[in-house]
Amino acid sequence: MSKVPVPVNLDTVANNLADPVFLVNRDKQIAWLNKKANELFYTSDEEAEDAVITELTGINKLDSLLDDVFGQETELKCSYEEASVKVKRQDQRYFFKIAINPIFHEGELWGGLVQFTDVTRFHEMEKIKTDFVSIVSHEFRTPLTTIIVGVEMLKEGMLGDLTPRGKEVLEAIGADCERLSRLIDNLMELSRIESGTIYVEAESADVTDLVQEAVRPLKFQAEKQGIELITDIAPNLPPVAADFNKAVWVLANLVGNAMRYTDPDGTITVRVRQRGKRLFFSVEDTGCGIPKEHQDKIFRKYVQVSGPGRKGTGGVGLGLAIAKDIVMAHGGEIWVDSEVGKGTTFTFTFPVYYGDESVKLSDAEPGAEEEGG
Amino acid sequence: MSKRILIAEDEKNVILGVRTCLDAVGYQMEIVEDGEQALDSVRREYPDLILLDLLMPKVDGFEVLKEVKGNEETKHIPIIVLTAKAEEEDRQRAMDLGADDYMTKPFKPQELWDLLKQYLPDHIA
Repeated sequence: MSKVPVPVNLDTVANNLADPVFLVNRDKQIAWLNKKANELFYTSDEEAEDAVITELTGINKLDSLLDDVFGQETELKCSYEEASVKVKRQDQRYFFKIAINPIFHEGELWGGLVQFTDVTRFHEMEKIKTDFVSIVSHEFRTPLTTIIVGVEMLKEGMLGDLTPRGKEVLEAIGADCERLSRLIDNLMELSRIESGTIYVEAESADVTDLVQEAVRPLKFQAEKQGIELITDIAPNLPPVAADFNKAVWVLANLVGNAMRYTDPDGTITVRVRQRGKRLFFSVEDTGCGIPKEHQDKIFRKYVQVSGPGRKGTGGVGLGLAIAKDIVMAHGGEIWVDSEVGKGTTFTFTFPVYYGDESVKLSDAEPGAEEEGG
Repeated sequence: MSKRILIAEDEKNVILGVRTCLDAVGYQMEIVEDGEQALDSVRREYPDLILLDLLMPKVDGFEVLKEVKGNEETKHIPIIVLTAKAEEEDRQRAMDLGADDYMTKPFKPQELWDLLKQYLPDHIA
């Protein structure tokens, strides 16, 4: 304990905090609040007296957060959650990170200290970043269209004959255009996920439709590369609880990856099986495999799946990071099994669809928002 | 018989690409560079299909969709949106307004030909 004398009481200290703080009892009634909390939620002391914190603040999420903290009587536990709070007075939106610390009195859980930290500025910065990526992506797509259409038509000889060397150069331009195109898609997707503006809306999705939708656009390319692309879906599978487009994206990304690491005459098998309440989607290739030391890194951002003696993957290492985010947002898991020289199998799980009641993915949504005030 | 397609697109280079693509398979085309001209052309010419950009001067693609799909006489004309707007919200908004398909730029000629074949199966070059 410091020996420096304190000439002011702790109320003065609390009232000078830049962020709102509430002290609530186990019934979630406000026992005390600081000046900033008063200002933000525009209350008088009379209004605040005995008021339940969720009613005063309008942040319903506090209810479950407090329940969570109060339900753990034996251990000290903090709970953090983000919520957006709209203040009526200024018609302005703030973003707060909320931390709740349990308060014990004579060995018994008495209540909790609810602290708000203003993170509005971070949200604004995030929004600027997302908008920027979106603009850049848009600006890239248009000129890429002209290049890709031109290259493809030249390659097919529809605009006249080419020398073998000319064809080779065009193949390279085409491959790099695809690489740029994937990069743009991935940056946008990642930016959405990180900014919390991506939402997973799980609905009942037919497994065969999902697999076909993911595989169909890649069949032609696989044939061209001399790779056999097989789908092996167990009969009578129940529907999966998934956001169809995002699930297709994950599967197509894994198959696309496999194609980049599989030699001609190789095989890629997309398999779906049910185990209990989960469906297991796997993409197995006969490619070069991933060394053990790289296997735990490949779901990180900007890490490329590399194989022995392999270079120039055509990726930037975002696809698997995004795939992981999407799968986890569905409450699923994703992992890799691989052996150098034999091949790689990526597997992810999605829950079986049992009707609306069993599919609540909102807790898994990154950056879920709630308005209060 | 040969089908007639209205291309509503304001980027000159993209127009060149799309035109070259459609030329190769014998479609007839009319090209307009803003939404206002697109609506005029639809009322005047009744194209067999519209390839529609969303970001265009004067009247944007969403407005064109609304007008064409909201009109009894023109709502049967298939509209394929060809756009750099890749956000899900834009796709949903376009589909809600009646777009028949939505293709994000960049695309390959084969993808465009496949789509056109789907909507104009009777086309003969």
